Amino acid sequence: MNQRITRRHFLEACASMGLALPMPLSLAAPLSMFDVKHPRGLDFSHVNSPTPQKYLIETMGGGVALLDYNNDGLLDIFLVNSGRLANPMHAPETFDRQDPRNWNRLYRQNRDGSFTDVTKEAGLANAGDGNYGMGVAVGDYDNDGFPDLYVTNYGKNTLYHNNGDGTFTDVTAKVGVETGGWSCSAGFFDYDNDGHLDLFVTRYMQWDTQHSKICGGEWQTYCPPAEFPATTNILYRNRGDGTFEDVSHRSGIASIKGRSLGVAFADYDDDGFTDIFVSNDGMRQFLFHNNGDGTFTECALEAGAALTADGKPLSGMGTVFQDYDNDGRPDILVTVLPREDYALFHNDGNGSFSYRSLQAGLGLLSAASSGWGACLEDFDNDGWKDLFVAQSHVLDNVEQIDHMLHYKEQPLLALNHNGHFERGDSGVTAAIAGRGAAFGDLNNDGWMDVVVTSLGGEPLVLFNHGGSGNWLSISLRGTRSNRDGLGARVQVNGQTRYATTAGSYISASDKRLHFGLGTAEMAKVEIHWPSGIHQILEGVKTNQFLEVRELEKS
Amino acid sequence: MSGAFLSVLLALQTSVPPALQHFHAGVEAEKNGQLDTAVVELRKATELDSTLAVAFADLGGVYIEKRDYSAAIPPLKRALELNPGLNGAHRLLGYALLAQGYATEAIPHLEQAHAEDALGIALLEAGKLPEALAVLEKALAQNPNDPELLYYYGRTSGLLSKQIFDELEARFPDSARAHQMMAQDYAVLRDVPGAEREFFEALRLSPQTAGLHLQLGELYARAQQWDKAEEQFRLETGIQSGSAEAFYRLGEALLQLGKFHEAREALVHSDQLRQDMPETLYQLGKAAAMDGDDTTAQKSWKHLLSLEKDTSLASQAHFGLAGIYRKQGKHADADREMEEFRKSQSKPAHTDDSQK
Repeated sequence: MNQRITRRHFLEACASMGLALPMPLSLAAPLSMFDVKHPRGLDFSHVNSPTPQKYLIETMGGGVALLDYNNDGLLDIFLVNSGRLANPMHAPETFDRQDPRNWNRLYRQNRDGSFTDVTKEAGLANAGDGNYGMGVAVGDYDNDGFPDLYVTNYGKNTLYHNNGDGTFTDVTAKVGVETGGWSCSAGFFDYDNDGHLDLFVTRYMQWDTQHSKICGGEWQTYCPPAEFPATTNILYRNRGDGTFEDVSHRSGIASIKGRSLGVAFADYDDDGFTDIFVSNDGMRQFLFHNNGDGTFTECALEAGAALTADGKPLSGMGTVFQDYDNDGRPDILVTVLPREDYALFHNDGNGSFSYRSLQAGLGLLSAASSGWGACLEDFDNDGWKDLFVAQSHVLDNVEQIDHMLHYKEQPLLALNHNGHFERGDSGVTAAIAGRGAAFGDLNNDGWMDVVVTSLGGEPLVLFNHGGSGNWLSISLRGTRSNRDGLGARVQVNGQTRYATTAGSYISASDKRLHFGLGTAEMAKVEIHWPSGIHQILEGVKTNQFLEVRELEKS
Repeated sequence: MSGAFLSVLLALQTSVPPALQHFHAGVEAEKNGQLDTAVVELRKATELDSTLAVAFADLGGVYIEKRDYSAAIPPLKRALELNPGLNGAHRLLGYALLAQGYATEAIPHLEQAHAEDALGIALLEAGKLPEALAVLEKALAQNPNDPELLYYYGRTSGLLSKQIFDELEARFPDSARAHQMMAQDYAVLRDVPGAEREFFEALRLSPQTAGLHLQLGELYARAQQWDKAEEQFRLETGIQSGSAEAFYRLGEALLQLGKFHEAREALVHSDQLRQDMPETLYQLGKAAAMDGDDTTAQKSWKHLLSLEKDTSLASQAHFGLAGIYRKQGKHADADREMEEFRKSQSKPAHTDDSQK
C-alpha cells in the first residue's frame, strides 16, 4: 500500500488542527496525485508470452479503454490481451486466444466501485484465432447511443457492435473493417462532417513471425523498426448505413508509408475539418491535413511537426493532440525513446508548428525515459492540462546493454504551470513496463483518474486524490453532428479541448471532456460542433457533469 | 629475395662450382615460384659448401616465403655466422624470430637492418613501449597510409597509456588522479554510481583539478541528468575560465534545460575563446532561435554553413534556417533551405523509405 500522505489526508489533518490553507491546495507543497488501488473484481493480467525469438509483437501490447458501455453513468474498463506465442511460431498461428487466460476482458463497474468481469456474457470472449491483441478504439459508429469497440491486432482487427443490452456482436466482416497485418492504435472521428464516425487505423510495419529477426548480436534484442519495411495506414469512411468503405487510397492516406504506432485528431488550422496526426517509430511523423473534400495532404515536414528542432527523426510511440498552453490551438505531443525528448510541437497558429520540448521543460523530464500512452489532462484542476505518460523501455534486457537506462519505469506525471511542465508526484512507487494508458473520471468525483497497462502484468488503476479546485465535465450529445460530438472544439473559461476518445497509445479514453477551473464558480461554455453549429452557454455552474445537446439549428 | 642482391653477393663469394650450380638452380626456381625445388637446390648448395653464406641466407628466405619460419631460422643464423654484414639476412632473421614470438631476439637483427616497421612491432611485443612508440612514429612518417603501422601505433599508445595509469594507480592509489582514472573506467562501463563515487573522491582530494568537473558533467549528460550536468560544467568554467569546451558543454546543458538566455551567454563565451567551432555555432544558433532571437540564429547558422557544407551539422543548420524563414513568411527561402536539408539526408528513414 502507498504510505505517502494524500491530498485528502493532508486536508483532513489541516482541518482537524484548525489550520487554514494559505493557498489553493493544488498549488500547495507537492503531494502525491494518485492512490494506486486494486479495485475488487479487476483481476486482469496481460499475457504477452515473451520468447527467445524476440518477436517484436511481444513488446508492444496491450491497450485499455474507459467507456460506459451500458450507459449506467459509470466508466467500465476494457483491457486488450495479446496471446500465447510458441518458440518458434509455426502455422497456423492461433495465439491460444480460446484460452480464457488470453481473452480480452470487459469489466463492468459496480456502484460500490468494484468491477465485475462480464466478458463472456457480453460476447467478447472470442478475440479470434490468429489475432495477437494490440489496442482498442471506442466510438458510437452507428449513433445508437451505445459505444462500440474496435480491437486492433497482429492478425485481423475486430469491430464489436454494442447491442445496447449489455452484449456485443462481432460485425467486422459485415461492415467491412477487417484490416490485416499489424495494426496498433486506431480512432474514430468524423473526417467529412457527415455525422457518422469514420475510422483510422495505424499499422506498424510489414512484419510476420516467419520474417522475424533477432538483433543486438550477443545481447539478443528486439530489432529496431528500420529492420522491417514500412506500411500504409487505413482510413475507413462510414457510409452511414452501418457499413464502411476503405478510402485509404482515394483519400491520400495510403500515399505514404510509415511505421505508425499512435494517432490523434484535432482541427489544427481551424478550417472546420478534423486533421490527423500519426506518430511514427524511427522516422518522421505524419500530419494529414484534411482538405475538406475527402482527401488529405501529408504536410508534417512543411508544417514543422515531422522532426526535432535538429531535423532528426523521432521514435514516435504515443501521441496527444490537445492545447497545452491555453492559446486555443491544439498542440502535438509525441512520446519517444530515451536520449530523445518527448516531442512537443506548439501550434503557432498559421498552419505551422514549432518544436517546444525544451521550452516546456521536457528536456529535463523525459530525456532518460521511454514513453508510450500519454495524455494532456488537468489532474489538479488548476486550469492547465498536465502531462501523464506510461513509461518503460522497449527492450526487456536494456539494463544489461546500457546501465544508464531502465526497462521498467514509473509513469511520468508532469504538472503544467503556465505552459511549463514540472515533475509531480504521481504516487506510483513501483516501476512497471507501462504501455497503454486511458484517462477518465472513474469514480465521478470531478478528478481525472488513470488506468495504465503493464506489459505482461496487471494494470495500474490510479485514483486521483482530489483537492479544492473546481471543475466541469461535459458530455456532448450531437444531433446533426455525430452523437458523441467527437471532433467538437469546446472552450471553457479560456481553455480548449477537442472532443475525442483517441490519442495516447493503443488506448481509448473517457469521451467526457474534463475542465479544471481552479477557483472559478461559474463557467462560459462555447462549443463548435463538427456540423458547424456554434453554441454558447453562459453562467454554467462548476462542479457538475453537464450534458450539452447540440442545437438543431445554428 | 632480390636477384640483384644475390648476384652482387655471389660475385664476392668463393665457392666450388657444383655448389654454385645448385645455388643458381635454387635462385632460378625461387624466381619461378617453385619454392620446394628451390629449397632442395639451396640445401644441396649448403651441403656441398658449408661456407656459402648467401646460399644459407637464400635458403632462409625461401622458407620465409613458404611461411615456415622455424625452418628459416637455422640457415639464417648460419649465414650471419659466416657473414655478419649481411643486412638482408638480419632483416629476414628478425622477421622469422618475430613471427615465432621471439621478439627480444629479433630486435638486434631488425635494428641492424633498419627495418623500423618490424622493429616497432618487436619492441611492442617485447614490452618496450616508449621505444616502440618512437620507432613506429618514425615508420609512420615514412608510410603514413599503412594500416598495419597505424594499428600497431594505436595499440602501442593504448598500452603505454594503460601502463602509465597502472603505475599511477599502484604508486599513488589515493591520489585524485587515481580516483579520476577509476571514475573514467566506470564511466566507460556506463556505471554511473561507480563513476560518480570515484569522481567525488577525486574532487574531495583535489577540488581544483582541471577537467574533473567537466568529466563528471559529461557522465551526467550521457545519463541525461542535465541538471546535475549543468552544475558540474558551471564549476568547471569556474576552474578553467579559458576553456572553450567547458563553456560549450555548459551551454549545451543549459539549452537542454530550457535556459536559453544563459545557454547563449555560455555559448557566446565559448565562441570567443575558440572561434569557428561548428558545434558551438550550431548550438548557439539553436539557443538563439529558441530564445526568440532569429537574427542571431541565422547569423550563427550561416557562419556554420560557410565553414561546413556536407556534415550533419550543416544539414541541421539548413533545417533550422528553413524553420525560421517559414515563420517569417519567407517561403522561397524556406523551401530552398528545406531542399538543401532534404538533399543532405541520405538516411532512408527521412525521405525515400517513407515514400510509397
